[in-house]
Amino acid sequence: MTNEEPRASAPEIVAGLHGTLSARARLRAVAILVVGLAGAVFLAALWWTEPGPLPVLTRVAFGLMMVFCLIWAVYGIWLLRSRVPLFATDRVVAAWIGLAASALTSSLLVVMTVQRGSGAWAVIVVATALVAVAAVLVVRAHRHRAALLRREHALTGGDPELLE
Amino acid sequence: MSDELLVVRAQLGNRAALEDLVTRWQRPVWLYVRRMLDAERADDVAQEAWIAVVRALPRLREPDRFAPWLFTIVRRATLNRMRRQYADRHDLVGDFESDVDRPHDGIRDPVDGLMDRAEMVARLAGIPVLEREVLVLHYLEDLSVEDCAQVCGVPAGTVKSRLNRARLMLRAHVEEEGERT
Repeated sequence: MTNEEPRASAPEIVAGLHGTLSARARLRAVAILVVGLAGAVFLAALWWTEPGPLPVLTRVAFGLMMVFCLIWAVYGIWLLRSRVPLFATDRVVAAWIGLAASALTSSLLVVMTVQRGSGAWAVIVVATALVAVAAVLVVRAHRHRAALLRREHALTGGDPELLE
Repeated sequence: MSDELLVVRAQLGNRAALEDLVTRWQRPVWLYVRRMLDAERADDVAQEAWIAVVRALPRLREPDRFAPWLFTIVRRATLNRMRRQYADRHDLVGDFESDVDRPHDGIRDPVDGLMDRAEMVARLAGIPVLEREVLVLHYLEDLSVEDCAQVCGVPAGTVKSRLNRARLMLRAHVEEEGERT
């Protein structure tokens, strides 16, 4: 046992991590979360602002579609929590994607609700909350990255050999 | 370049830093796994452990405590494999989870000075899993008793007891061999 060496070399171990580290996997996870969440909010607002009572089957269809979107959103969260590493720079990009998607969804909701003329204020509040949460995530992602950059600077101490 | 700097850069998304970190720790990780499992499974488990490490790295809050955090994950991967391997052997893995701290008998380091690292490594196979694990972490990976406690998820006192038992076992092995020769 004393003189044994690992059969896999370090480059082979790194190569084995490519799937986990692929940009495509990260983008896919973020897209699943964003689209699932935006879809669920959009459907909920659509349902809420219906001018009259809906037939039972239509309500069931709305409910099922919302559950479907929420399942995708939860799957996206699970991917980002335990399967796909989101590093600080990725978090910043993901947060901006989230903010753009929230702004787009919110704008569509507001325009649609104003045209329908029912429940406009409630939808505006929901849309504003959606954008606000996305904006908070952007700020947090930037702060996290800035803290890491400060720590990196403190550790290198301005040493040119350690600076990239 | 320190581990902490590599970790911080890897957390920022620097791929080269992450690869340097893996390269630096690849052998210690493999050695730990190898001491706990047979050669066939060691490579697989080491790779699984690295995937888990990379997935969890963005959430590491204390980059300066990378080593104990790393071995906590590696230990979990090893334990999962052992659980599967010895699913019907409660004597090995059951004790791993529900270890009861046995009283410290006050005997200090009886094998210190009796053997070097190489000798210890050669004798590890004969030591039970719990004791072998702390020997590997403390003597071969140079983790402190407190870090071993963090990795194993037990109090520092338990680690000291295990180390003590492990030393006694090693001494017994040495004496047994001495009597034979």
